[in-house]
Amino acid sequence: MKITLEEVQATLQIAKLNEEDLNPTIHCLSFGENVSSADYCLMELDDTLCKHIEAGQSLVIRGDKDERAVLCSCDKTYDLRIANTSNLLLFVPGCKTPDQLPITQDRACVVHAEIWGFCNSYWEPRKQRPKLKKLKKLLMENPYAGVPLAGQEESKENRYTMQDLLERIQASEEEIKNHLVTIHACQIDGCWCGLDFDYEMKLLSHVTQLVDSESWSFNKVPLQTSLEELAPLEPREMIEHCLNCYGRRYTDKGEVFYALHEDKVCRGLALMLLQNAVKFNLKEFQEVWQQSVPEGMSTRLEQLKGVVLVDRASSPETISLLKVEDLPEDTLERFNLLFTLREKWTEEDITTYIQDLCGEKQTTGALLTKFARSSLQNGIKVFNSRRPVAT
Amino acid sequence: MVQIVIRGSVDGCSPPQWLLVELQGEMVSRHNSGLAGNVMGDLLYTKEGVPVLIVGHHILYGKLVKLEKPFAVLRKHSGDSPDSYADDATQIPMETDHQGLTSTSYTVSALIKQKLIFKTRPKPIITNVPKKV
Repeated sequence: MKITLEEVQATLQIAKLNEEDLNPTIHCLSFGENVSSADYCLMELDDTLCKHIEAGQSLVIRGDKDERAVLCSCDKTYDLRIANTSNLLLFVPGCKTPDQLPITQDRACVVHAEIWGFCNSYWEPRKQRPKLKKLKKLLMENPYAGVPLAGQEESKENRYTMQDLLERIQASEEEIKNHLVTIHACQIDGCWCGLDFDYEMKLLSHVTQLVDSESWSFNKVPLQTSLEELAPLEPREMIEHCLNCYGRRYTDKGEVFYALHEDKVCRGLALMLLQNAVKFNLKEFQEVWQQSVPEGMSTRLEQLKGVVLVDRASSPETISLLKVEDLPEDTLERFNLLFTLREKWTEEDITTYIQDLCGEKQTTGALLTKFARSSLQNGIKVFNSRRPVAT
Repeated sequence: MVQIVIRGSVDGCSPPQWLLVELQGEMVSRHNSGLAGNVMGDLLYTKEGVPVLIVGHHILYGKLVKLEKPFAVLRKHSGDSPDSYADDATQIPMETDHQGLTSTSYTVSALIKQKLIFKTRPKPIITNVPKKV
């Protein structure tokens, strides 16, 4: 049943609205046929998401039955929540705003606009850090540990293609790709897998020992020669992978070289030394560590931020392994574990281990205020747990 | 795990822009016959651009506001029931080899960057005004 102009004008008269004060276009709104039956919803967009959609790009929602749904663009991850409003939101495709209407028009006219849908809630994406811990866990199910011994076959199970990973990890593709580089994952026959730590250290040792024995500058490690010298020991792809993980590739006069990254190499060798000890005497460790790195490289404790814990309160001072990446992803669980390991933390020490928990616009200070209690010890501010913790 | 695609558009272009009308309260059809197909009311603008809404016996004054965060209108498509919405010939099922996963997907039907919000108390329209004596 369509309303006529006369009916609308009658309504205006009853409402005591003066036609002279009004724009002559009148929208008659009615509910579309599919308003209650079609499956639709509203989603709020931030600037980045809006530009994505305007460029015609897609987004993906990822989640397991028992996980919170996550929205991913090609390079960002968002938490998805539902926001409710007490107001009614109607969406009208054919409705114009005053600036879109003709200003001068002699006669009044009626435009029929259909209300396509309505709701009182909408999806609200909130940017968040991607859940990548699962990625390392999956890739370490069957890590590569070198060429299998004679008579043994290498197991191809539990190795994942990029597509497999996208179906299991709640993160955007680019975030996943970046993390694969960070954790030194390698691709074998199209499938991704982790690198067994001892094997990785074996590769690194081969490289650093070669550098020393050939008296090369660690900034100019020739790829070709390295591959030739080390090929009898390990597959060429693995040697090259090791160089990619620990150095920067460049070309000089047509030849490929690697500049080994001092911090990465020192850190790797430190991890190797600390791997099997619960605690190490700090002074002894520092001596052995310096001796183990290639000629020309200097070891510094700062290189080990986020992977070791130094105990300066004990006598003698000790050092032990504590990797941020091994800690729980959940904030409360993380704090509980940290306070179980050590009762009181200085701000500097604990910040290293909670930095990655910060969401957008969140500071470590805010986290500490919420999850810890501060006090002064010997004039220094320290943090401890808000609840009794068994140490 | 499930992956559900939200397609930006069918043809790679920016989606159309719609207008949002925000009202306080609930909308109930007069004869309890459901809302679909029924007239809601008339929307007019004053010469100054103020939106006026006449719904039933009420008149509401509102204003045009630019949304701080735009909305996308998402339309859901379930894998099992073929949807005849526009040109969905390009719909690619998300999961082909996996069992037990639906090929649900969404398309962005429109973007909404502005709204007409009616926050003032509706004024009743009095139809019978006693004549002055």
